[in-house]
Amino acid sequence: MSKSDSSFSRRGLLKGAGAAAGFGALSTLPFRAAFAAGFPERNINVYVPTREGGGADRNLRAFTGVWKKYLNTNFEPTFYPGAAGRVGYETYMGKAAADCHDLIFGNMGPEVLNWVVKEPTFPLDAYFYFAQVDADPAVMFVSDKSKMQTVDDVVAEGKKRTLSCATSRLAHPASLGTLALGAKTGASFNLVPLSGGRNTRAGVTTGEVDFGCLPASSVIAQTNLKVIALFEPKNTMPDLMPDAVIVNDHFGMDLPPLVAGARAFGIKKEAADKYPDRYDMLVSSLEKVFPDPEYKEAVIKTKAPWELIGYGDRKACAEYVENITRIGTEYKSLLTGKS
Amino acid sequence: MEFSLDIFIEQFARTFTFWWVILPSIFLGLVVGAIPGFSAANTIIILLPLTLAMDPETGLTFMIALYASSRMGAGIPAILVNIPGTAGAAATPLDGYPMARQGKAQQALAISFVSSVLGGLLTTIVALLAMPWLSQVAYYLHSVEMIVIMIFGISLIATIAARDTLKGLIAGFFGLMIGYVGADVVYEAPRGTFGFLELYDGVPLIPALVGLFAVSEAFAVIEGESILTQRGRELMQKGGWGGTIDGLRETLKRWWHVVWTSMIGLVIGVVPGAGAAIASFVAYQQSRTFSKTPELYGTGHIEGLIAPEAANNGVTSGTLIPLLVIGVPGGATAAIMAVVLQYHGVTVGPDLFMNSPELAYGPFTAMAVTYALMMLTVLPLARYMSNITVVSTVYMAPIIIAFTLVGAFVPREYTFDMYLALGFGVIGYIARKTGYHVAAILIGVILGPLLEQYFLRALRIAQGDVMVVFSSTIGNILWAMLLLSIIFPYLMEARRRKARDRDATA
Repeated sequence: MSKSDSSFSRRGLLKGAGAAAGFGALSTLPFRAAFAAGFPERNINVYVPTREGGGADRNLRAFTGVWKKYLNTNFEPTFYPGAAGRVGYETYMGKAAADCHDLIFGNMGPEVLNWVVKEPTFPLDAYFYFAQVDADPAVMFVSDKSKMQTVDDVVAEGKKRTLSCATSRLAHPASLGTLALGAKTGASFNLVPLSGGRNTRAGVTTGEVDFGCLPASSVIAQTNLKVIALFEPKNTMPDLMPDAVIVNDHFGMDLPPLVAGARAFGIKKEAADKYPDRYDMLVSSLEKVFPDPEYKEAVIKTKAPWELIGYGDRKACAEYVENITRIGTEYKSLLTGKS
Repeated sequence: MEFSLDIFIEQFARTFTFWWVILPSIFLGLVVGAIPGFSAANTIIILLPLTLAMDPETGLTFMIALYASSRMGAGIPAILVNIPGTAGAAATPLDGYPMARQGKAQQALAISFVSSVLGGLLTTIVALLAMPWLSQVAYYLHSVEMIVIMIFGISLIATIAARDTLKGLIAGFFGLMIGYVGADVVYEAPRGTFGFLELYDGVPLIPALVGLFAVSEAFAVIEGESILTQRGRELMQKGGWGGTIDGLRETLKRWWHVVWTSMIGLVIGVVPGAGAAIASFVAYQQSRTFSKTPELYGTGHIEGLIAPEAANNGVTSGTLIPLLVIGVPGGATAAIMAVVLQYHGVTVGPDLFMNSPELAYGPFTAMAVTYALMMLTVLPLARYMSNITVVSTVYMAPIIIAFTLVGAFVPREYTFDMYLALGFGVIGYIARKTGYHVAAILIGVILGPLLEQYFLRALRIAQGDVMVVFSSTIGNILWAMLLLSIIFPYLMEARRRKARDRDATA
């Protein structure tokens, strides 16, 4: 890259700093005007029950970067990754205001499974998801250095010995799919939770575990990992996962789609009931984001596959939650180690 | 990924043209490293919009300079006021702060700066030359081996306990007990949280660190007029550049010590998920084990300061290797760098060396240039920084408490963490007054959860077979080395006693 390509130079630094200072001073004016008009009266706080820098963070920044244009306010994310996201939900339900200014942005799949494994301290119908922004399928993957390069290799080896499978957490749709595959084929898989996608990929890359399972988007970005199986009815990214077989087709199973990354905005039911106009404003402004070319540009810039982006409304979210809760309940004993 | 001298020289010269990015980043890094609660990782996150606006090469240079200098910055308050800026500097006050109290703050800072720069520079060069081999370390050091490495660090408790075995062990086990608070890594079952959600992630490190060291120190120093001893005050009145020159000379005299302790940092840094805290404790423990004067450690011993500072700067270049070579970040800061690179469409991994050598080799040359520039810009500041120690405790104590409480709040923005820091301050104060070593508590708090994490992971992979800890050849070699390092000081002591007896009878 030549120096002339640089979008950031000494002169640029000074210009940028000046512009930023000026913009900072001016940018408060339209917001004040908007506040005066009613909702939103302040920035929208977003509780994120995962770590900064992960898929949810990337997704949220891309989305709210465009949403703020339609809602005329800024978004302030705060991250609560503790205890598989449980801390984030408990904090949201315990501390967040019920006035539509506080939202939660979670990954419905693994987080709903949390409640199957251990009930929260708040009633589960006290909040609901109202906008799913992506659908990231659960996959199985191996290192390119592994002796096992296909899902058939993994199953065959799993029939000879117990294979270790890295997962970000036990209660995860990808973990469920792997356990179900083992139960169907007679292969023995031992789930090893490594706390987060980064550690899971590292465990497989360094050969500490035999293979791994995660949402697809976090695996396909790493060139030395190979996706070998997909818990979805269709491979929507054949270019990025050319060796992935559809588990249901390949093994004659009837697992429902295991969307491992189903990031969605949630809200307290009390807030939506008390302020229906505000809730409607949130939904109507949010729906404008998806067709906006600026959003597509922002997603592509983060290297997340655009194929995974899609809107799911409140009803679709409720269906997903119900579905994943049913599967989680079915496999609860395996997830809690009490089988 | 073959190393090419031409590319390196070209890249090195090219990196110097980024001096305008590196210099401000050095000073920013020193400041954020010195303030507890801030770190290179969270500063990069805060400045993400700025970093993303830069082209990848400039952004990477900025992040690397910030990373390296924040590591050095964390040692400054550790030496001057007993507040480690980050967990990576937790072993620095063991000998750095006693030096400051003796009026040798300038010398201690110079030793810290020079050993950081030399350790950082050396490991950067070694990392560059040995990258293909070092990257393989991550393939061989798994949970089983990491258990032994953790125990190397934890065995430092026994060393501290040597002065008062019972109290040392009680403090160490108390720390380990605190370290196990929080949800377990397998089933996420909360333990010892007393219903506080804020403890589900375990006892947060920064409030524990600043509470045990700094808040308790503030409570203690307020009893006197100055943190300095009488002799220390006399020494400080002399002023001049003597301390800096002396520190430089003493460190250069111990160049071999810098070399091998920084190598410990480099190797531990290469292992994904390990880190500077482990490296500095292991280096300190090893330094003491093989010292001819182990009894001087903890009293303001130069080698006790060199070891953790050289090691935690060795980690810096180590964490970049798995990121660049196999695409697995070695630590939190490296992970944020990966996010920034990914945003720019740069995929880390072996292909990077062929597709964009300036981005693959760039971090190492940027690190080398940063360390070289730090030697010139930061070392002269030791003289002025050391004057902090002469500030009256009437002002010092409230400033320490205010800074540390803010530091405790910053990482998670919980008011709870400020109370926690105060609670740990009281525990630390009681420990000091009753002869229990706060460092022993802290080692347990820092390394305990990591040991548990690796142990549970190994057990999970082995399906509950405890003998897994002896299942690997490298692990068994490390066990033997651990045993040797524990009995070696006793053998040396016995030998010295025998020699003394022989001399006495002669």
